[in-house]
Amino acid sequence: MPPSIKRPNLDSVTTINPDGSRFFPHPADVKGRFTTARRLVGVLLIAIYVLLPWIPINGHPAVLLDVTHRKFHLFGLTLLVQDVWLLFFVVSGVGFGLFYVTSLLGRIWCGWACPYTVFLDHVFRRIERWIEGDAPARRQLDAAPWGPAKIAKRGLKHLLFAACALGIAHVGLSYFIPLPQLYAYMKGSPMQHAAVFAGVTAYAAALYFCFGWFREQFCIVMCPYGRLQSALTDDDTMVIGYDYGRGEPRGKVKEAGHGDCIDCRRCVQVCPTSIDIRNGLQMECIGCAACIDACDDIMDKVKRPRGLIRYDSHKGLTGQKRTIIRPRIILYTALMLLGAAVLTWGLTRVHGFEMSIVRLRGMPYIADPGHIRNQFALRLLSKGDDPTTFQVTTENAPPGLTISGLGDVLTVPGGGELQQTLMLSLERPTYTGPFKFTITATPTDGRSPLKREVEFLGPDK
Amino acid sequence: MSDSTPSTPTPAPRPTGDEPVLRSHVFDGIQEFDQRLPNWWLMTFYFAIVWFVLYWTLYYQGGFFSNDQDRVTTELKAIQEVKNKELEKMLATLDNKVLWTWSQDPVIKNEGHAIYTRICSACHAADLSAKLGGAPLPGLPLNDQEWKYGNQPMDVFRMVGKGSPDKTQAIQMPPWEAVLSPSEIAKVSAFVMSHHTPPVAAN
Repeated sequence: MPPSIKRPNLDSVTTINPDGSRFFPHPADVKGRFTTARRLVGVLLIAIYVLLPWIPINGHPAVLLDVTHRKFHLFGLTLLVQDVWLLFFVVSGVGFGLFYVTSLLGRIWCGWACPYTVFLDHVFRRIERWIEGDAPARRQLDAAPWGPAKIAKRGLKHLLFAACALGIAHVGLSYFIPLPQLYAYMKGSPMQHAAVFAGVTAYAAALYFCFGWFREQFCIVMCPYGRLQSALTDDDTMVIGYDYGRGEPRGKVKEAGHGDCIDCRRCVQVCPTSIDIRNGLQMECIGCAACIDACDDIMDKVKRPRGLIRYDSHKGLTGQKRTIIRPRIILYTALMLLGAAVLTWGLTRVHGFEMSIVRLRGMPYIADPGHIRNQFALRLLSKGDDPTTFQVTTENAPPGLTISGLGDVLTVPGGGELQQTLMLSLERPTYTGPFKFTITATPTDGRSPLKREVEFLGPDK
Repeated sequence: MSDSTPSTPTPAPRPTGDEPVLRSHVFDGIQEFDQRLPNWWLMTFYFAIVWFVLYWTLYYQGGFFSNDQDRVTTELKAIQEVKNKELEKMLATLDNKVLWTWSQDPVIKNEGHAIYTRICSACHAADLSAKLGGAPLPGLPLNDQEWKYGNQPMDVFRMVGKGSPDKTQAIQMPPWEAVLSPSEIAKVSAFVMSHHTPPVAAN
């Protein structure tokens, strides 16, 4: 029989029993300013997650990653697969941003903004609390033999968990499939859209498993960001910490000669990953601030100043001078700004249309006694929903160069592409050697033109 | 840059009685804890072994599942079959008379014109004269009365699909059936023939 309460230490993971089995922590209820703020942030984030696909911008949802048509709508911007190079700067920018935030504020992302924590703390743990009661009641239910009451409670809990997992899976799916289409899928038979159905079922099953059973194990063992944090923080990082000098030695309130910590273990009881924050910053800490609220509450009761456990740097907690600006902050800020700058520049390079000109396969040029000709395939691609007309012209071309295949204007269907063969022809006496010139496609609706340089080739003299 | 280990470590926490067992073995002053892996972690490991055995047996040895190459080949074959079927169906209904009628149909003519502009006008010129600014283009003029490879609509249809029958020339018309569908070829042929007068018998 595994223990129902454990005393955390620094050398092993509390949520894994010595025999390898899982220890389920039952974090106690906690009230306070950080808990309230975190709940508000959580509800706001859930609202944002759910609503983003419902908000239309420029005729498309604010976020729609239409994988089927390889069109990615992001806040009014439409990106195609051709623009995927931007992803590099998005990922590196977000990565360095996380570096920056972590070295400044520790795992604030994990405790406050990570969707995993948001759904776990503000949806699933709330349901559990509502059905099974507070921490002692839950521990009692765990230990109780299986009977009608336990089956009813557990059954209802897991039914609601499954329903929420399905709901979140569908919210996730609405980022990839437009809502009307998703609704039609949901009304139709599963066999009609077997792949999507299998995908959403697997996704819901994974969510159910994670939030219903796996929980903090993901944050402790699997999440790569959690693993990275020890390399990103230093003595000046604001983390949640225990003021050792003020708290120790621990002892009863009424006895003299003790520090401020009364060893009530409230901070351990409320911890969702079952660590003792008084042992210092640990790998398992997701920075949820529950222990701060718990300790502040106790300190109020024993009429001692708040902040025995608080947001502070290691240096601050040990009474040294706090530094905010330090080399790694400067480096991470520079890298983050670099990523953001390149991404911004990249976004200005994304046009509503694309043009490519490639030499046709086969002979690089065709020469007959009178003329030299080059063949090119012109491809125009429009990302918008309406047809676009283009005027295609040449720049820096020598006089006498004629292009066949270009009408007055070229019309590209909305969201489609047009491929056109161009025949460039030059009279033989005019040709003095290979030369480069520019082909320009100007949309007739006044948007800025696209230019491509091509080279005209011919025989040696 | 400061080290990730705190420079002034917090005093060692007091023992709780739940500490893991330390193995007696010492090497260079380093000792090991005797801790078990999480059971769920071990399950993923065993699952990976079972998966490997099944996958290796069924996929690599049993050949129960088609590989990517086979799937691509099958898919391409299916596409070709659809095309062949369409061509067959087209050819069953298509003859010179039908194409002459099509050449007078404004809708078909327009569709054919769009294809002509896109594909053919580079060599045959927008006005079918195969001349651009007086200079000859590689294609043959299609608006005169001289026909090198047959003057019937079906001759044009075959020519567009299969390319020039004279494979000896350096510059020759490529076969377009890989790019255009049979109905597109028929429409562009009808557009070309719309520049010519149908024989009286067809009217």
